[in-house]
Amino acid sequence: MNLFRSEEHARRWSQFPPRSEEGLITLDDLAGFFGTESRRHMLDADYLSAWYPRRAAERRSYLEKIAKTSPFWMGTPDPPTS
Amino acid sequence: MADPRLMDQAFQRIMRGLVDTGRAPHYAELARALGRPAEEGRALLRDVMAAYPIGWLHPETDYIASFPPLNNLPTQYRITVRGEQRWFAQCGFEATSATWLFPGQTVRVDAPCLDCGDPVSVEMRDGRITWVDPPGVVGHLAFGFGASRGRPPYL
Repeated sequence: MNLFRSEEHARRWSQFPPRSEEGLITLDDLAGFFGTESRRHMLDADYLSAWYPRRAAERRSYLEKIAKTSPFWMGTPDPPTS
Repeated sequence: MADPRLMDQAFQRIMRGLVDTGRAPHYAELARALGRPAEEGRALLRDVMAAYPIGWLHPETDYIASFPPLNNLPTQYRITVRGEQRWFAQCGFEATSATWLFPGQTVRVDAPCLDCGDPVSVEMRDGRITWVDPPGVVGHLAFGFGASRGRPPYL
């Protein structure tokens, strides 16, 4: 999960997997994705027991909000190919 | 698995140690801080890492390598706060989350672009992006999330 100077730079990366065209994300969306509510409590005394368990649902919800709902982003298995 | 309250205390001690000093404590230091024997600290560290699987120990050791959003092992994602470059982010995505560890502070992320080597810089404050250079900076997920992708998603 890297930052690039632009989409063109990402596509020119020598290790750019072809499928990862869908892996591009704007910086604003990225900051939102990694700035959901639980992230704001990483220094709280009960983060591990109370906040970390909420992270997965928050991530799914945020990905739906920015329309990144493919298996690639949601971490779900790819549909079977015939 | 250790008592959840003790796990919370250990987690907070590790994260606070990283934030305050730029490095994660060894399990013996963790144990001392919590008033426990060193060997109990080792077991506690392993329990915490099992409960926080987005981080990891260096293989075959009890050394914390990654404790996101920060990394104990240097990466190309250098984090600067108050003019001091003491920290590293686990990856480019986690770098945008480091802002939440330094409330009220400007957190700067500097990294080389993996295509051209030229700099990528982002500054954030309390979750807001306050400066980006160049303006077109993007994130890129190379292998997709989920075990079915077969590669660590932090790459």
